Amino acid sequence: MTQTSSKKYALGTRAPDFAHVAETIADVSATLRESDAIGRAVVLFGGGTLQGMGSVPVRYDVALDCSRLNRILEHEPADLTIAVEAGCTLANLEQTLAAAGRFLPLDAPRASLATVGGTLASGWLGPRRAAYGRSRDFVIGTTCVLADGTIASAGGMVVKNVTGYDLSKLYVGSLGTLVALVRANLRTLPLPQARRLAIASLPEGTRARTVSHLAALAIEPAAAVIVKGFSKSIDGSDGLDGRVFVLFEGTQRTVDAATRELRSTLGAAGVPETRLLERDIGPAFARLIDAYIEPLGSRSITYRSYGAPANATPRLDAFERVARASDLEAETIEDLRTGDVIARISSRLTPDFAERAVAFDAQRRTALAGARIVSAPERLRARLDGWGAPPASLATMKAVKARFDPHGTLAPGRFVGRI
Amino acid sequence: MSDARELGRRLREALGTDSVKTTPEDLAAYSFDACGEDRLPDAAVLPNDAREVSAIVRIARDCGVPIVARGAGTGLCGGAVPVSGGIVVSFARMNRIVSLDVPGRRARVQAGLVNLELSRATAASGLFFGPDPSSQKSSTLGGNAATNAGGPRAYSCGSMSAHVLGIEFVDATGDIVCASIDDPGYDLVATLVGSEGTLGIVTTLDLRLLRMPRAVCVAFAAFDAIETASACVSAIVAAGIGATALEIMDRTIVRAVEAHYHAGYPLEAGAVLLVELAGEPADVEASERAVATLAREHGALAWRSAADARERDALWAARKGAAGALGRIAPNYYIQDATVPRTRLPQAVRAVETIARGCGLPVGNVVHAGDGNLHPLIMFDRRVPREREAVVAAGHEILAACIELGGTISGEHGIGYEKRDTLPLVYSSDDIATMQRLHDAFDPSRVFNPEKIFPRGAICGEVLAPGATEAPP
Repeated sequence: MTQTSSKKYALGTRAPDFAHVAETIADVSATLRESDAIGRAVVLFGGGTLQGMGSVPVRYDVALDCSRLNRILEHEPADLTIAVEAGCTLANLEQTLAAAGRFLPLDAPRASLATVGGTLASGWLGPRRAAYGRSRDFVIGTTCVLADGTIASAGGMVVKNVTGYDLSKLYVGSLGTLVALVRANLRTLPLPQARRLAIASLPEGTRARTVSHLAALAIEPAAAVIVKGFSKSIDGSDGLDGRVFVLFEGTQRTVDAATRELRSTLGAAGVPETRLLERDIGPAFARLIDAYIEPLGSRSITYRSYGAPANATPRLDAFERVARASDLEAETIEDLRTGDVIARISSRLTPDFAERAVAFDAQRRTALAGARIVSAPERLRARLDGWGAPPASLATMKAVKARFDPHGTLAPGRFVGRI
Repeated sequence: MSDARELGRRLREALGTDSVKTTPEDLAAYSFDACGEDRLPDAAVLPNDAREVSAIVRIARDCGVPIVARGAGTGLCGGAVPVSGGIVVSFARMNRIVSLDVPGRRARVQAGLVNLELSRATAASGLFFGPDPSSQKSSTLGGNAATNAGGPRAYSCGSMSAHVLGIEFVDATGDIVCASIDDPGYDLVATLVGSEGTLGIVTTLDLRLLRMPRAVCVAFAAFDAIETASACVSAIVAAGIGATALEIMDRTIVRAVEAHYHAGYPLEAGAVLLVELAGEPADVEASERAVATLAREHGALAWRSAADARERDALWAARKGAAGALGRIAPNYYIQDATVPRTRLPQAVRAVETIARGCGLPVGNVVHAGDGNLHPLIMFDRRVPREREAVVAAGHEILAACIELGGTISGEHGIGYEKRDTLPLVYSSDDIATMQRLHDAFDPSRVFNPEKIFPRGAICGEVLAPGATEAPP
């Protein structure tokens, strides 16, 4: 285990007193056991890409960096399974799988830094989940370290398993407040034969028709989103109603048929031109995903809201309305298949931003109670509501936290309802 | 006895006479599942809604008796058996589709709705429910959720946990709690699915529905032996061909189902591989050719594709009726449920064969082969003590062999009562203690389905289960 400068692990306005870089699972266990015994609060780090999610921990003494636990442990392409250490980056995972004709649609931002452990712990959900499933549906087993240093496994290396509680699925999305994930066993998928990304600018008044027409496609896309703004980071250029991205994956024949159908569907919705990307789809799709958390300097907050596709447009409208009322701008991504809405709220004027942003965050609590913050300037985070309204099941969640981390060692206060 | 009378009185007061059963004749129907174990509960109740379930939980707590939730009792490992008495909560009356959202492809159902009823009700809208356990004509969605049930199609669409979007459950204090996968915080939905009724009582489920594929092909290949069929499945999986189901039946099973269903499976084959492909018409055709080629390369003796929906249904009906059809061969049978990594399937079926030969009892195999999920069925006569003992020993040996191959002891039925002492073969004491933390967060006083999942020792006092089992008719 190595000590390192604690500055790069600062959250909010606070840097931890200690920063440990774990080389082994035993390091993770030792750090947690010791911290738990003497009452130090620990924040786990992978690539650090999603540390902007949620609230700032109320106590923060130790940063525990697991990114060097990054080996591929077992890769069984014929079984469609892989086991990796938690610090394995998504880029490394993707490359390893692709070499064997496999993939995993985790679709988290900044794949060269993001780790499997961090992606799972944050409960990250990408746009391809409507086609392939949620991140947690790919997790068939885990090894974790509890707050008291106990090393425990759940699940295994088989794809169908009801042997005891499926604790791995509880750990996915627990944001480092229950356990430290150190190993993940994952189910993989055969790499599709063909992919195509279609991008089209939406002329004024075509958005609603585009949404309803795309929902009726006979061949369903792997992902379909409408972007408004993000002109410097995501490909394509907005029409007055934004721009649409549709990704198809499958056999060459089906992707070709899907493209023909898409073109005529968009044409019927009043969208004249569709640009097709055959090569470099990976980087273009990655830029889209990166935008989900990418800040605009230090004058933006990015929210994410989940819900049914049928009420995505009203949620998006609410973001725009509240932003206008606070004299802020909203750039948005609306996921037509999953119903996710991403809204990056920003201001051109740096000096006023903080006050306006805090005002926006207060106002959105009524119109967008369920929206969560995924990225915000560190100096503002303590003044913002990272989670929105707590869920009806909060008491049960608190009971779970109390059993797994009775001393509040793991990122106390970071999670919803100050868990 | 007076305690039981008081319990009955309080339940009747809360739910009405019609919803509470306390006579031994009435209680017998709530005393067993598809495992051989049985025990009469002190009371069986048939609530109509979550509020009544909540009232039952509060009464159970006051009276200090456990509660066991019961769907259709088709589970294989005693999950629904009230081994410590108490109250059995039957979901027979909570069997409605509460709402159906066709464009959003989701349904809200009461936990007692029978699995197949949901697909029937949504078929006209072009939708269906993914998980399709062989018991789907009788098993309930609440029970399916409790065991994270799969079925043949789990190969392509995953088990229950991938299909539950939200849950309403009654917790150990009697509160009605709602959880959705869109909620911030811990994923209580995924936590409750597969928890075998030990964390709470699920009353309502929000379920994802799937769009019916535009083309479906059901075909089978005949092989000389189950090992070659298994090797073919491993090759299909490794080739990344998008099958929706890959099922194997060996000769014993094929003969039993043919005598019953006359679906057209070849009686002379050592094993039959049933393949379902679904998707875009051109893709299905191409996949069918690819699978047929792989089958030939692996020594298939015959390949036949169902000509129409009627033939497809007949092939599936026979496969899903496999367990029931064995009644013709032996008075009793014992079904095991274990999973191995997909490529280890040939070794696993070889191990099963060796173990069966060793115990001198006939064995049949139905296998969710695409997922490496084996269901060996050992035939015996429970009136013969030697056979009863042999079957339990063989079951244990099969589980041990699957663990040895990197597998596990349950693919889709859970641990329940029967397998709880096997849990330490798979997990360390720290692993199990971690599961207990979760249990204690939900149900510290052990109201819900006690003496399940966790090995003896955590709770003591009960007698060893004989394990010899008989399925319901």
